[in-house]
Amino acid sequence: MDATTQFFTQLEALGHESRLDKVKGRLRLELVNGRRTDRWLISIDKGDIAVSHGNGEADCVVRTTKEVFEGLTTGKTNAVAAVLRGTVGVEGDRGLLVHFQRLFPAAMAAS
Amino acid sequence: MSGELFRILDGNTFVVSDARGDIEASLTDPTGLFSFDSRFLSKWILTVDGQRLNPLSVDDLQYFESRFFLVPGTGTVYVDAKLSVIRRRAVGDGFHEELTILNHDTSPVDLTVRIDAASDFADLFEVKDALKKKGTYSSGVDDGKLVLRYERETFGRETTISASAPAKIDEKGLTFDVHIGPQSEWTTDLDVVTAAGAGGVYVRPKYDRGERRAQPNMERSLERWLGDAPRLESDSDSLKVTYQRSLVDLAALRFSPPVVGGKSLPAAGLPWFMTMFGRDSIFTSLQALPFTPELAETTLRALGAWQGSRVDDFRDEDPGRILHEMRYGELTAFEERPHSPYYGCADATPLFVVLLDEYERWTGDRKLVRELEGEARAALRWIDEYADLQGNGYIWYQRRNEETGLENQCWKDSWDSISYHDGRLPGFPRATCELQGYAYDAKVRGARLARLIWKDPEFADELELQAADLKRRFNRDFWVSDGEYFALALDTEGKQVDSLTSNNGHLLWSGIVEKSKAKTVAKHLLGPRLFSGWGIRTLAEGEGRYNPIGYHVGTVWPFDNSFIAWGLRNYGFKDEAAQIAAGILDAAEFFDGRLPEAFGGYGRDVTKYPVQYPTACSPQAWSTGTPLLLLRTMLGLEPVEEHLLVDPALPDSIGLLALLDIPGRWGRVDAFARGRGMLEGRLAAARA
Repeated sequence: MDATTQFFTQLEALGHESRLDKVKGRLRLELVNGRRTDRWLISIDKGDIAVSHGNGEADCVVRTTKEVFEGLTTGKTNAVAAVLRGTVGVEGDRGLLVHFQRLFPAAMAAS
Repeated sequence: MSGELFRILDGNTFVVSDARGDIEASLTDPTGLFSFDSRFLSKWILTVDGQRLNPLSVDDLQYFESRFFLVPGTGTVYVDAKLSVIRRRAVGDGFHEELTILNHDTSPVDLTVRIDAASDFADLFEVKDALKKKGTYSSGVDDGKLVLRYERETFGRETTISASAPAKIDEKGLTFDVHIGPQSEWTTDLDVVTAAGAGGVYVRPKYDRGERRAQPNMERSLERWLGDAPRLESDSDSLKVTYQRSLVDLAALRFSPPVVGGKSLPAAGLPWFMTMFGRDSIFTSLQALPFTPELAETTLRALGAWQGSRVDDFRDEDPGRILHEMRYGELTAFEERPHSPYYGCADATPLFVVLLDEYERWTGDRKLVRELEGEARAALRWIDEYADLQGNGYIWYQRRNEETGLENQCWKDSWDSISYHDGRLPGFPRATCELQGYAYDAKVRGARLARLIWKDPEFADELELQAADLKRRFNRDFWVSDGEYFALALDTEGKQVDSLTSNNGHLLWSGIVEKSKAKTVAKHLLGPRLFSGWGIRTLAEGEGRYNPIGYHVGTVWPFDNSFIAWGLRNYGFKDEAAQIAAGILDAAEFFDGRLPEAFGGYGRDVTKYPVQYPTACSPQAWSTGTPLLLLRTMLGLEPVEEHLLVDPALPDSIGLLALLDIPGRWGRVDAFARGRGMLEGRLAAARA
């Protein structure tokens, strides 16, 4: 299983995440992998998390490459810096991403 | 060009220029058009027939708008005063400039008008530290517009310049061939638009109401902002001026971070600190609570949304920790600076809980307290689990980011601010005294919220026990018994960092001082070593590192004094609080109502006027909030359940003070005070 699938599997298994207790909304992740784009839809309802693989309406759309996303899920890349850098694109409710990025592990110190 | 700089701003977009309206920046020079911590224009020079212009005057119309009056010619001899030039500039997602040339002569003129434009796209940090750029520049003409660009990997910044009048556009600027009839004028609109891009796609701003040009986003609400604030009446004209100045400056300092749906919180200072700071935004929100409680609400929400969630050494982040500073520029984006956000401060986390409680006491907004229960609990947990680096029940700080993190993580954050009486500097970690006071206050206030709103009496009991224990230990471990004041800090060996400082006043504010010790503490604060006549010095005269113009080692900080005045009131020292209010408000008069960040610690009898500490940032948010908090302490405003208690104590310089329509859980109420000054004046009049 690759890091991305593993992240979503673990996320779904969580069921509830208290760090997102105040959050309500749908986040769509679009992960570009060569010519393919993988879409994941994450619904958060006061900390309850549901994950599905596929398209769907969302309040916030996050678009990046599969490679960068794996960096986020493994702690190699910091999500906020990546947004500022332009390697992660955000459309819609940015506040949703600010909350969601709490679930990524700590980034390693920049060299 | 040296000389005075002129600034206009809207949120975190601002323009700094010389008196001609020109921008001519070197990498380290602070002029330019800035937005989101990047410089978008470093050159913007107007010439007429190849000549620079002479400034006649500058109108600061509003904080977001100014007008420059100019004439051609150089030096003191006017080559041709038959022309005048007016540049009217307004900022907002870039800026809009209306350039007008008036021909006062009876014959027509033909002129070559030129605007030279360029950008170095420097990060604000680069402007401060003179660093080299790593990306590539380009400039070109596209669709009748001059486009300047900087790109580094996926990171892009773009400035687009256009004019309404016909112009020849090249890669370095715009040229206008102008013919003006006798006693006529010529005008053009110039639009400078900033955009951020990723992977070559640039998002240009959409203006509020479909305007086609840069417009300040905050402007429309300034009038309402002033109208909503309580009205002040007084026999002191200088106090009225200071109050009005504070309200307008506070409006200018509003900043709207992306996570709070267009609402605003106080940024730290103009122009270099137009961003979210944990400490500064909290202190300013506390000062402004009786006037504009919505700032506190936004501050709490935004800082809550960004609360730390993991251990990240580069950002000095811990779970539950409240951020220190957020930045958006290139160095932050490429992780050459840790401000995405940076968490290295030890006071914002307990102060977050303090603000939440104080906010509820004023507004009765229980909904927000319930909403932020998780964040407040995490903040309280941080105090015990992450801040106690020595495992002895105190907040300690030591940066984990050794390269670009902050050494001193308290409000006195300069390198030499924490010293022993003999001038030595202690090692790390350090436990400064005011942090323990804030922790105590956070626990006491957290207990109130837990009992009243979160309905968790067990947690409330636990917090109260912890607070009582902390107070007992603190009064034992930090008390310098031969000097009878509290030490500035403890060092790693548990020894006292024994200099006498203004921090004692923050301890009164927090409530951690035992009643029996309060009187001698107040005596020190108003005594000759700390009190200059204008205010309380950061470090007392006679201490090893005392310097009346040392940043945190002898200057007087208005914000510091406002919290000390609050602390004195909390312990019943009304007259002493009034004395501080009088000194600071007298000083404000010398600065036309705009208190600087700090001024010299020279005795009032020596200099007769307060000597401003040279600093690039003005207004500074917590200096702007200072007169507001002093009004609160002079009037003795205190929310008690559903009512506002008024218990005034005015200094002699104020005879009458009324604050009308104070917002809060009571709706709107008025507070009135008469001073002894007026009484004595009346008696004198009666005797005459």
